[in-house]
Amino acid sequence: MTKKLLYKTSKVYLIFSVILLTVSAPLFYYITARLYIEETDETLVLHKNEFLKFTAPTLPTAEIENWNKYNRNIKIEPIQSGSSDTLFYTAYYDTLDAELEPYRELNASIIIDGNPYTYSARINLVETEDLKESIALLFLTIIILLLVGLFIITKKLSIHLWKPFNETLNQIEKFEIDKSIQPKLTSTNIEEFNRLNKSIEKLIEKNTSIYHSQREFVENAAHELQTPLALFQAKIDTFIQSAEFTNEQYEMLSSLNDSVSRLNRLNKNLLLLSKIENDNYSESETICLNDTIKKHLDFFLEQAKAKNLTIKLELSEITNVKSNPVLAEILISNLFLNAIRHNISHGQILIKLSNQSLLFSNSGQIQALVEHNLFNRFSKSNPSEQGNGLGLAIIKKIADLNHWTISYSFSDNLHSFSVSFQKL
Amino acid sequence: MKLLIIEDEKELAHSIQSYLKSHHFVCEMAIDGKMALNKISTYDYDCILLDLMLPDGNGFEILKELKKQKKTEGVIIISAKETLETKIEGFNLGADDYITKPFHLSELMVRIQALIRRKNFKGNNLITYHEIEIDSLSKTVKVNGNAIDITKKEIDLLLYLIGNENKVLSKSAIAEHLSGDMADMLDNHDFVYAHIKNLKNKLKDASCSEYIKTVYGLGYKWKND
Repeated sequence: MTKKLLYKTSKVYLIFSVILLTVSAPLFYYITARLYIEETDETLVLHKNEFLKFTAPTLPTAEIENWNKYNRNIKIEPIQSGSSDTLFYTAYYDTLDAELEPYRELNASIIIDGNPYTYSARINLVETEDLKESIALLFLTIIILLLVGLFIITKKLSIHLWKPFNETLNQIEKFEIDKSIQPKLTSTNIEEFNRLNKSIEKLIEKNTSIYHSQREFVENAAHELQTPLALFQAKIDTFIQSAEFTNEQYEMLSSLNDSVSRLNRLNKNLLLLSKIENDNYSESETICLNDTIKKHLDFFLEQAKAKNLTIKLELSEITNVKSNPVLAEILISNLFLNAIRHNISHGQILIKLSNQSLLFSNSGQIQALVEHNLFNRFSKSNPSEQGNGLGLAIIKKIADLNHWTISYSFSDNLHSFSVSFQKL
Repeated sequence: MKLLIIEDEKELAHSIQSYLKSHHFVCEMAIDGKMALNKISTYDYDCILLDLMLPDGNGFEILKELKKQKKTEGVIIISAKETLETKIEGFNLGADDYITKPFHLSELMVRIQALIRRKNFKGNNLITYHEIEIDSLSKTVKVNGNAIDITKKEIDLLLYLIGNENKVLSKSAIAEHLSGDMADMLDNHDFVYAHIKNLKNKLKDASCSEYIKTVYGLGYKWKND
């Protein structure tokens, strides 16, 4: 499953913050509590020392009872046990609030007027529950604020930071190597993205130039082949005039002759393909496909007659499309010949033309063609067949050039090629 | 008839020459533009075959020169380049026909004949061969003076066969001639048989001699025994 990068980084941040804060909250409580107790103890000891230094020398024994009466938190009582200073927790019942309050208490032995007493000082402590609650609340607030803040900041920041990246991405998505439009990548002040853009530009440039040289190679090769082929053809044409041959020799010459014309066709179709790719047919005009179909109908009917095919034409609507007229003719001829070539004897062909699409259906082999690579060059479904394996590639190229879609389907023992004129 | 072949591929020029020779064509050859221009300014030809790609320049220059010298030779461009632009430019500069390499010599033959007919016999479109009389303009055929019912395609085939008299014509050559622009896509030559059969029958019905001979395995031949 793919998710946005933002989601992934935020998720990690969020998990980390939650873990950190939940772990640090008890720690914080523990440390706070300890500091608090230490501070309390220090205060108690300080109070005792102050008492011993300033109060005890001036406090007569008779006044002790009075002292105890007015001092809630420091009591001086006759000694109970002669132990050393002790600090401990204790609780006293608060009669006003009607609950037990925690206290820290210091018991120390002191001498007043030569008599031993127990000095007992206490400080009211914050209730543990209260402390815990406050800390929990504090941390919860921090977590929430952190998360919201983090989310907003990353979102805002990522939109800003990733903007050049997204622009580059859009450009690359639109890029097609066989179209002449080159992507324009805007430079940014972010080093990584600049690097990315530069590498992509380099990559595209290199690939485009390789693609162009390859395309040129095909066209040049096909062109260069024309002259030797012409010579080959001419020599055979002259040779077959030269004398009487035996039947065996005639058969050989015939097969030689067929091979040359096949070679010629193959070469011309390759040339046509590279011409389409090189935008030699870029001018387009509005053409009526009904006329295009009818133009060479006689020729195709003648071809179909050799196989005793039944042709059904359904040209219900006058269909005008924008295309190069030569290419439209080639498209229809190829579709037509394809339907004838792969047909069975006494088979049928159905041609349906509407404003939306052009459909050629034909009977033929009883299983569907393998769609994978169907429209690629030289991908023949049946290697022994007569076709040169370029017909469908040419059809596809022309459809692509006009932004039409070509699709293949098989049902009711009919192979159908449909060209949809709807722009993608 | 005098012909000038301007073609740098000598072997191809020789083949054309030897094919045309038997049909009373006298062919001269020029292997580059300079030689071609020399010959053009010195002699008159009935027809010029011009390759556009010459070692010392563009074939269009020769067309321009012909125009400048007000020469009226018919010119057929022979080119490996088949773009609409070069065709249009060729025609604009005064070329009469355009044939793309590779081509069948039989096709070139009928193109030359048609061109010469157009140039030399203005208004006269009659082609006669013994008892057969073809009017290439009104598309009618008479055998022994009687018009026969014949399709345009069959007339085309007849002209092609007669034009290449005594030559073995392969089925693929006939198929390509009959299908014209569509030839590049054609991979089935079965329809040639049907056309030949129909034409044979029509000529036979009009009590014409049997000129169309089958050449075993290869094709057909128009021959007067």
